[in-house]
Amino acid sequence: MKKLLLVFFMLVAMSMQVFAAGADLEINTPAIASLKGSMQARHGQLAGFYASGAIGLTRDGLIAVRDANAVPLSQRQNVNSLVSAENGDRNSLYKEIAAANGHPEWESEVRNTFAQRWVQKAQGGWWYQDQSGSWAKK
Amino acid sequence: MKAVIAFLLIAFTTSASAVSRIDIQIGQLTQSGIQAENINASLDMEGRWQGKAMLKRAELSEVAKNYKQLPVTVTQGTASGQAHFSGSNTQLERLSADIRLQDVAFNDTEGSHAGEKISATVKADIARVKDHWQWQDDIRWLGGEVFWQPLYFPSGGHVLAARGWWQNDVLAVEEGRVVFNGVGSLAFQGRIDTAAKSLTKLDLSGKALQAAQGYELLAKPFLDKTMLGNLEMAGTLDVQASYAGGRVQAFNLGLHDADVEDKNGRFAIYKVNAAIPWSLNAVTDANVGFDGGRILQLTLGKTTLPARLEGWSLTAPEWKIPVLDGVLSLQDISLALIDGKWHGHLATSIAPISMSEFSHAMGWPHMEGKLAASIPLVTYSDGLLTTDGAMGFDIFDGHITVDKLVMREPLGRAPRLNTDISMRGLDMDLLTRTFAFGAMEGRLDGDVAGLELSSWKPVKFDASFRSSPGKYPKKISQRAVENISALGGAGAAAAIQRSFLRFFKEFNYDRIGLSCRLRNGICAMDGVEPAKDGYIIVKGSGIPAITVMGYNHSVSWEELLGRLQRVTQGNRPVIK
Repeated sequence: MKKLLLVFFMLVAMSMQVFAAGADLEINTPAIASLKGSMQARHGQLAGFYASGAIGLTRDGLIAVRDANAVPLSQRQNVNSLVSAENGDRNSLYKEIAAANGHPEWESEVRNTFAQRWVQKAQGGWWYQDQSGSWAKK
Repeated sequence: MKAVIAFLLIAFTTSASAVSRIDIQIGQLTQSGIQAENINASLDMEGRWQGKAMLKRAELSEVAKNYKQLPVTVTQGTASGQAHFSGSNTQLERLSADIRLQDVAFNDTEGSHAGEKISATVKADIARVKDHWQWQDDIRWLGGEVFWQPLYFPSGGHVLAARGWWQNDVLAVEEGRVVFNGVGSLAFQGRIDTAAKSLTKLDLSGKALQAAQGYELLAKPFLDKTMLGNLEMAGTLDVQASYAGGRVQAFNLGLHDADVEDKNGRFAIYKVNAAIPWSLNAVTDANVGFDGGRILQLTLGKTTLPARLEGWSLTAPEWKIPVLDGVLSLQDISLALIDGKWHGHLATSIAPISMSEFSHAMGWPHMEGKLAASIPLVTYSDGLLTTDGAMGFDIFDGHITVDKLVMREPLGRAPRLNTDISMRGLDMDLLTRTFAFGAMEGRLDGDVAGLELSSWKPVKFDASFRSSPGKYPKKISQRAVENISALGGAGAAAAIQRSFLRFFKEFNYDRIGLSCRLRNGICAMDGVEPAKDGYIIVKGSGIPAITVMGYNHSVSWEELLGRLQRVTQGNRPVIK
């Protein structure tokens, strides 16, 4: 019983430590603020393509062209550019947040948390990749 | 595969008792999407044959199924036209076709190659001459749109016409011409190794190409992520280039009265005239000039750059660019592309630019003074720009020095800048009037050591400002006292208003000092000396004297900027 209690306390202590060590995702630095600003400015151009299913949210916290044939020919290169610019910003954002927390090695953890957040925040009808990497409609 | 032959007529022409010719006539033939009619063919007794056929209608989506190696799926479209053919025994001697394509659509699964509503005419002729084939074609793209990643052609009007020969895996274009609608015409010739599917030789040349349409159609898609990705262009371009042995051997670019304007407003140059000959194995002299332009809001004057090119390196003794009322002079310029990365160095000096013009151009408050600098050595190497020597600015009747300037990827996505700045003997009267801070009299020294900017925003520095040594009048207005106090976030202004001090417009001081050590968005603040519960920012002296205290040792940088903005804006006259 005593041993069991000890294990219990150790678990509690460990979980508290994990909690304390969790990354602050709302942290703000000039670099993060500028990335968020740039992503917000771009969102208006992307929204229509999320809704039409042309682009979707990937499981690694980025976006990808899912169905280019849903985009008029005249807009296709524009979509490619938007996706690549957005992914550039997203990769930088995860790196900056990890660095601002003083733990650059947390980048993949930050990325995973954001990947889930993006899907939660996505509007109905948008597409996202599930854990196996296949596309699903929200 | 099923073939339907509507009727077949075979006639034998006989002379005396022998058959001298066989005529075949087929009224209608239908096979896997192809409908042909009026097929006439004849065969003589030497084994020569010839004929013609009308292609009434071919469903291209059906026909394309037989060509699995096509990079795209043809989903729609028809072909019609006619063909002539002749040969002897089992050998085709000549085939000529005149085909019209209508309403063609194609795509691929990735959507990176697609076309819709395309109409075109294709004329082709191929004939055997001794041991090789002579060919010529004329393809006119009449209408419809095509996306061929990353290029997008919104409409037709383009022509590809060429002739040449084909022998033993070598396809030669002896004379070719491609016309891009709205851009102009390019002549070309070349060789393709059809076995290796590679281009072995290409020469092309075009004159008076329209820069505006050419940029939109052919250049912009490839420059997407660069500084040149969103331009407005005008003027004409002459181009000549030769490619062989897997590399560009020579080119010659000519720009005539070209205007280049960044739609994001970062830069513009007008009336660019340039002659840029280049050769892989020879030294050439290039000349680039423009009548005017601007970088951000700084206007540039007329200039020319004579440069010597040698392979992928450029040298120029001097380039003088008029900037506002001064001149930026670059000397001993050397730039080279080594292993795909740019390296270079130069010396630079700025002949005085008046701060009055400079501050106006930058949208800053009006400043007096001169901006002059001389940097003996600026080095650029693979994204890293370093300076050797300090830049000096004569401003506010004092002097500002920028030293140890290093920039990483100044034109990239996340530019970083490191430098040390020192200021000596700035006239506080000029300074405070410029920034609408509330009048102060005196002299100020300052140092911003280890300044680090990321995306042009400060992330780290050790800054300290203090009264210059020496004897001079030191006065501070009530307004300035209130503003300094407001920076500290405390309600000192109210305290003055309550006390007898409100009767005085200005006070004497002994020393002023404020420091900020910025780390992780937090400014660690201090003053001239410590005091109970804080630090002294303005140490008073004489009568009336005033002492301004700071209480917060730790202030968020964003918050501090916000306060500074409120203070300086609050003191500006509001015009509505």
